[in-house]
Amino acid sequence: MPLLDLKGIVKDYELGKTVVHAVRGLDLTIDRGEIVAIMGPSGSGKSTLMHLLGALDTPSAGTASLEGHNLHELSENELVTLRGKKVGFVFQTFNLIQSLTAQKNVELPMIFQGVRKSARAERARALLEKVGLGERMKHRPNELSGGERQRVAIARALANDPEILLADEPTGNLDSETGATILELLKKLSIDEGKTMILITHDPDAAAIAHRIVRLRDGRVVQEVRNA
Amino acid sequence: MLREFFRLAGQNVLHRKLRSILAVLGVLIGIMAVVILISFGLSLKGLMTGEVAKVFGVDTFMVMDQDVMSGKHSGGMKEFGLNLETLKGVDGVKTVAAVRQRTAFVEGGTNGEGNVQQGFMPVMGLSPELLTDFAAFTGDLVFEEGGRQITGTDVDAAVLRRELADRLGAKLGDTILIAGEKSNEITATVIGILAASDEKQEEQGFASSMSSSSSDTIYVPYATMDRLWPEGNDFLVTVVRILPGYDVDDVADRAEVALKAEGSRVSAITSSDITSVIDQMMSYINIFLAGLAGISLLVGGVGVMNTMFTSVLERTKDIGVMKAVGAKNRHVLAIFLIESGLIGFLGGVIGTALGLGITAAACWGINTFAGLPAGASFPFVASPTLILATLFGAFALGAVSGLWPARRGARMPVVDALRYE
Repeated sequence: MPLLDLKGIVKDYELGKTVVHAVRGLDLTIDRGEIVAIMGPSGSGKSTLMHLLGALDTPSAGTASLEGHNLHELSENELVTLRGKKVGFVFQTFNLIQSLTAQKNVELPMIFQGVRKSARAERARALLEKVGLGERMKHRPNELSGGERQRVAIARALANDPEILLADEPTGNLDSETGATILELLKKLSIDEGKTMILITHDPDAAAIAHRIVRLRDGRVVQEVRNA
Repeated sequence: MLREFFRLAGQNVLHRKLRSILAVLGVLIGIMAVVILISFGLSLKGLMTGEVAKVFGVDTFMVMDQDVMSGKHSGGMKEFGLNLETLKGVDGVKTVAAVRQRTAFVEGGTNGEGNVQQGFMPVMGLSPELLTDFAAFTGDLVFEEGGRQITGTDVDAAVLRRELADRLGAKLGDTILIAGEKSNEITATVIGILAASDEKQEEQGFASSMSSSSSDTIYVPYATMDRLWPEGNDFLVTVVRILPGYDVDDVADRAEVALKAEGSRVSAITSSDITSVIDQMMSYINIFLAGLAGISLLVGGVGVMNTMFTSVLERTKDIGVMKAVGAKNRHVLAIFLIESGLIGFLGGVIGTALGLGITAAACWGINTFAGLPAGASFPFVASPTLILATLFGAFALGAVSGLWPARRGARMPVVDALRYE
């Protein structure tokens, strides 16, 4: 059974009075341990696909299942719980909570899963050390560089030991050198920790670390390429 | 998890210091107003019950006309008839003192032109027990040199105020003629003249508060009163002290029943009767004051709501992130509610402290500078109930004000929240 299985996915939005057909009949399966890059121009449905893959949203039509759970059949709270346990997000704009220290940001997903304080703190410290921020745990996001912020975000994504790392343009706000180290880190972690990783990206360098590249256009898959 | 939410909410409050301070200030002012007004009401009540207790004590009650306390009679004191012997015979009664009042024709000395000074004046008979056992009733009277108060052994003596002495042309040691009913007439020696009233003395004590025309009143011994008007249907007030070991309310009830059985239209009033009247009065005043303060609380609440709306809007993206990493709607709701509750609580703590401080200072100021009657004090009352109620109320005010904004934040779809810039 594939980890993620999308069949005949359609997603429409209402933007004011017009209906936007963001995804128009998309099939995609992703297996455990794969690194998949999803590429495509703006408006091709990348972000919408990321929301569906990350269980942030449900499709208008078609079936999306994560580890055999049909997202359509889950209540909102079940969806949140599933997402919290199975998916770790890395965003282009880092999306750290500014009022919290690096360590607290990493602890946040564990708080909502009800992990005990001591276990939480210990795991957050271990993860921050793993991403090379052992010395900066008590710093707030505005005291960290862009690369450091993204490392905190990666540590946060790993907090609940998810199956899937979902990275949306993880290098989009970083210079190329920093971006390269972040990609390196992502790749290493996904292999070391045995995570499935989905990269949504414009960046060919980012796509280069993937096992498979999926190209979208106008809400459909137009090309799938396996990297050698 | 709740503890963690408190921490998250606390961090949000601290992170936006200025705005939090302003919202706290709004609540603080409202809570302070409530605390000051209610504490002041409590102090006022303390002052009044303190004065009542001084006159009454736990072993004293008064017998008055039955309409005086019921509110049917609005003219202050009213004369009534009773049999003192019946009252003295009631089980538990130790001492009975009475005040009687009549209007009499009075003739004094002559003025410079040789005219006799005369007129109708109120005459008040004070029983000796009143002077010996119930000193608080007469208050501190100041006599002119050589003068003194009436005692139990005096016969045909009179005490006047300086104003009346001047009008009657009477000096200390002179005699005045007092005519009672039928042809009862006595010649009384002026044994004491009360010093011209300055305002402070005027307001003090029972004798001066008996009637508005008290500066006209001629005080005579009780026995003299009996000789002028043998029939005792002109009591203003009767004060009763009970024997130790008796309950004042029980004795008062028995006295009232016994007197009413003889046809006296009287009621026996204990300190608890008066205190309950004061309580009733104060509760109305307090409701009114609390209403006023409630308006400022409402304004504070609107301030918190405004702050929370801004806070939710500003943290839309944070809400999206929290939901993306596994926060349920109720988690987001709880965090924002706690945040607004904390703002309220903080305002409550500071507002209560400031309110109590200001009230304490005001009480001190009144006691020190306002010239209360001697022995009276305006007590500072820090009611634990009030403090607990305001602290809880402040947290609730904050949380309720934050409810609407917090719900909006909690219900925001995660995708929209994440996209928000």
